[in-house]
Amino acid sequence: MAFEAEVLEGAIIYSNLLVLLSIGLTITYITTAVPNFAQGSFAVFGSYIALTMLRLFGIHPYYSIPIALIFGGLLGVAVYLFILKPLIDREAEIVILMIATLALDLILLGFLGAYSDYLGGITKKAAKKFIFTPYDFNIGNISAIFIVSIIVIAIILASLFLLLYKTKFGVALRASMENPALAEIMGVNVEYTRIFSWFLSGSLATVAGCLLPFRQEIVPLTGSIIIVSIFAASIVGGLASIYGALIGGYIVGISESLVTYQLSTILGSGVLVYSKVVSLIVLVVMLILAPQGLTGVKWRKIKWLKSILS
Amino acid sequence: MLQTKRLNAGYKELHILFDVDATINSKGITAVVGPNGSGKSTFLKAIFGLATVHSGKVEYNGEDITKVPPHNRTKMGIAYLPQVDNVFSNLTVEENLKIAGYTLEKTELKDRIDLALDVFPELQNFMKRKAGTLSGGERQFLAIATALVRKSEFLMLDEPTAQLSPKFAEHVFDKIVELRDKLKLTILLVEQNVQRALEISDNAYLLVSGRVAFDGKANELLEHEKFEKLCMGIQD
Repeated sequence: MAFEAEVLEGAIIYSNLLVLLSIGLTITYITTAVPNFAQGSFAVFGSYIALTMLRLFGIHPYYSIPIALIFGGLLGVAVYLFILKPLIDREAEIVILMIATLALDLILLGFLGAYSDYLGGITKKAAKKFIFTPYDFNIGNISAIFIVSIIVIAIILASLFLLLYKTKFGVALRASMENPALAEIMGVNVEYTRIFSWFLSGSLATVAGCLLPFRQEIVPLTGSIIIVSIFAASIVGGLASIYGALIGGYIVGISESLVTYQLSTILGSGVLVYSKVVSLIVLVVMLILAPQGLTGVKWRKIKWLKSILS
Repeated sequence: MLQTKRLNAGYKELHILFDVDATINSKGITAVVGPNGSGKSTFLKAIFGLATVHSGKVEYNGEDITKVPPHNRTKMGIAYLPQVDNVFSNLTVEENLKIAGYTLEKTELKDRIDLALDVFPELQNFMKRKAGTLSGGERQFLAIATALVRKSEFLMLDEPTAQLSPKFAEHVFDKIVELRDKLKLTILLVEQNVQRALEISDNAYLLVSGRVAFDGKANELLEHEKFEKLCMGIQD
């Protein structure tokens, strides 16, 4: 089974973006126990920021990344402070928080739909459905989005590593993730770390959203579709681990892209619409074999693996 | 000096402590003893702001701190070490010590870590190890060391010898005495090993069903003719 370079390239781009989205989802789940079903729409919010910058100011989507990062962060903080924190303060259960994010997703969907009409109206160009591939270029034989997505993920992962392991605030963030009550005892203002985690999550989602239109067509509803893959990635890796989101993002992203492509060569291009089924299958298999996710498995205790390693 | 005045506390609607008046004198060890479920741990949590105070006051050096959030009580020099989960298992020993001094300046943090390592030199061998891999006793040392790093003057220890071997427990008691004598710390100690706790303490409170049943010198309680009955909450 050999894949064309273009297919592999597409799979890696998609996986890089999925990793950003699933890390964001995992961080807010660990710090505030909120399974954010609006994470996909956060990404589409980023896509529309990039489209707005392009249509109104002629700014290339690659240059819109820092702007999307800030606006996405602010969106994340606003969602936490005005929607989720009041519920958490009233000791809302996880189901209530989940329903709140589903409602938020619908609100964002309505907002993005209305905004796309408005943007289309003032620019006289379609905004309800758009793609950035015409604005991409090649560097040698490689598409710029491939290189940019790798640079972005490398910078973000390195920054995240430096933040979490080399700064005082990062250690406080990890401490708050593990045991917020003890972190509070140590003098850490845990609420700040929660707000920051929502800023980070929103930023990562909108950065991914800025680049997503280089790979697929975006409509306001895209977030509600991609959320399946984001959750699959986070759960496959282990919802309580940032490393898990990284591993899960690549497993789900690459499986989804390559398996769907392979099936399309046999069954025709109509099968591409059902690409999310692959993510769901990976998720179901993982939930049956290791419900705690890959990072929750005690690998050293698995006998056959132990015998191979020894 | 720390005082509680007619302190009524518990968890949400659950009432555990009733009208507890206590005065914890500076630079000494005060033991809080009593049968299981008498409210010893809740007493410490109420002082630190982790339990619900229904009425009454907690005053520290004359200041009413009843409504001060726990992270600000830490800044005032009050430390509370819970019975379990008192260190971050996924952080290294070094990171645990650093996070303990979260509110300190860099140079001061280094001095405080050096001081904590002087008291607990055994920790120097494990600086890069995750706290979750330490033994129970080593974890307890680390937990007390974190309190030293954050410049605590008032240290509340909730059953620091629980689940430790007798040999290691004795080591912990020795360290508690050292903290009082060398560093002049004020220590409020909740301990199941009543005999040993009273032997090293200056003062004692006996709590029974959330109420103060004895308040005085530790040796008076230890030598009380009905000592065992009192500690078991049996009243004639």
